[in-house]
Amino acid sequence: MRFTAVVDGTADRAADGPPGGARRQAAALGAFLRAGLTGAAGGDTLVFYHDEREKDRLVALAPTRDIRLVRTGLRRFERMAALLSAQAEGGQTHLFLFAGGPAGTELATRMACRSGGEVLTDVLNAETAPDRLSCRRSIYSGHLMGRFELSVRPWCVSVDPSWADSDESEAIEHVVLSDTDETGGDGPEPFADRELLEAPSSGDLAGSRFVVVAGSGAGSRGGVEHIAEAARRLGATFGVTRPVAMSAWAPMDRLIGMSGARTAPALCIVAGASGAPAFYWGIEKAGLIVAVDVDAHAPIVREADLVLLDDAVAVLEELAAIVAAEREAR
Amino acid sequence: MSAMRILAYFRVTPDYEALRESEWAAGAARSTSAADGSNAMGEPNAPSGVDTRYVRRILNCFDESALELALRLSNALVRLGSAADLGALSVGAPDAEPHLKTLLALGFERAARVHAEAALDFAPALSAALIAAYTQRIDHSDLLVMGARSGPGDGGTVPFRVAEQLGWPCLTQVTEVEPLAEGRLRVTLMTEDGLQRLTARTPCVLAVGNAVVSHLRVPTLTDRLAVKDKQPFVMEPADLGVDLVDAVRRQATILTALEGIDWRRESILIAGDTPRTKAQALFDSRLKNLLEKL
Repeated sequence: MRFTAVVDGTADRAADGPPGGARRQAAALGAFLRAGLTGAAGGDTLVFYHDEREKDRLVALAPTRDIRLVRTGLRRFERMAALLSAQAEGGQTHLFLFAGGPAGTELATRMACRSGGEVLTDVLNAETAPDRLSCRRSIYSGHLMGRFELSVRPWCVSVDPSWADSDESEAIEHVVLSDTDETGGDGPEPFADRELLEAPSSGDLAGSRFVVVAGSGAGSRGGVEHIAEAARRLGATFGVTRPVAMSAWAPMDRLIGMSGARTAPALCIVAGASGAPAFYWGIEKAGLIVAVDVDAHAPIVREADLVLLDDAVAVLEELAAIVAAEREAR
Repeated sequence: MSAMRILAYFRVTPDYEALRESEWAAGAARSTSAADGSNAMGEPNAPSGVDTRYVRRILNCFDESALELALRLSNALVRLGSAADLGALSVGAPDAEPHLKTLLALGFERAARVHAEAALDFAPALSAALIAAYTQRIDHSDLLVMGARSGPGDGGTVPFRVAEQLGWPCLTQVTEVEPLAEGRLRVTLMTEDGLQRLTARTPCVLAVGNAVVSHLRVPTLTDRLAVKDKQPFVMEPADLGVDLVDAVRRQATILTALEGIDWRRESILIAGDTPRTKAQALFDSRLKNLLEKL
């Protein structure tokens, strides 16, 4: 069973704008191929690109030796899906892998619809057999893991965003098998006047070594602001759970969890969050988790290394004062 | 000028955060002991799946944003002197009826439900087929607005599946939408490159993500009384040309088993009498050393 890993490098531009997501996609796919996929007998990478100047850099990122390059318009997912579907027809490859995130979901879904195959998104691991693909992915908002079996091919699978955590990479001697220009068939752009309002602003959470998270146990917008201020004094990056962001007690770019940022800090203090799985997914890789909550029965109490049963705002303010005094004394 | 026909799709789901931990474990255990092992979910909710019958039903959070954004878009079109014709659709069990009544009271002109039970829970292709058929054959909508993710499978594929069936473009992770002239819309969305704004032309599908607008407004008693005789329209899948039983049987992606997830850690209690003494004990025992290394 051979696979094709698909990387969308069309938004990676050399001269203008921020680098696109190709590095993250390639890292996630590489990690999945090393540790998440069993039973496959090798495969290649199909890289979509737009800017000629980015080609060498994109080739260097690819997670397999063999690479096929295809030039298309910027983020033209419908076009890419049509090209992928044509590739699958009559080919030897039955498994197509995409990185997690909205772009991977769109590409995998559109490809499956066009090729008559099946799609499964956010897959944690997969095992191939000649006539079926077994996959595991989280379901019920992270409360359970589900095992799925896909029968009709091609199988279009996007990998769970957690595979992008890995910063390991293999040194690979790449071979470019083909390079085709498909920009001629792009058709009219469905969307116009695209403007970038803000660069991604939650990136500080993903790379932070120390995160303080406020949950709805903070009680009010004021409570959340007190915790944010304590986080600032502690030198921590501030994040919130979904209920806090939904109440507009903090900006949406502070959201941690399945619909927000995924973090892996050495230290994470969770202040007033119950520990719903969709949130916990965003901190599961933390080195030390400290939970501060009044509810001894909240799931976060079992999911933390250290537990303080008390008012989250009061404890965080005291902790910030203790750390500030300690720093001053030195 | 003809009115823009807007259709907002939503799903009603059990509040999973309200389900006891023991029920998740029991659901996982039942699934692996299912005799034929063919489908972990069995028939509606029992015996081999997770029993969610006893928890309250809520609007899927992304769908709730989608409904409010659709209302605001409709209001903005009217303010601009254009016309808007707003409808709501849900696919699922009768749990959706109170929400459909609420939407009628809020000014939605049409409210419909395609009747289907839990068979749709892990069958996004079926949901998409029903939504697309209703949009095209019954509603003749120009714009479909829905949450980017919904339901227990939560794979985020439904908006794109619908878009593929309709042959429409689709934008996902939408956070705001404003009307422009001639059926065009100014759409704000969160992409991997950052927050972007662009112009979309109808027809299209908008899948709403982490919008700041996250709560559906509440109708007044007067609003409710004004529509007390109006009922949501209920249809069967067969009315849309979909044979649900056959479609379920022909599914090519099957959920075969459920597994629990164990996130337990040491859970060591830091004791103390006041927030101050507890914070001090935490600092002295673990944080002092750790913070020096960060």
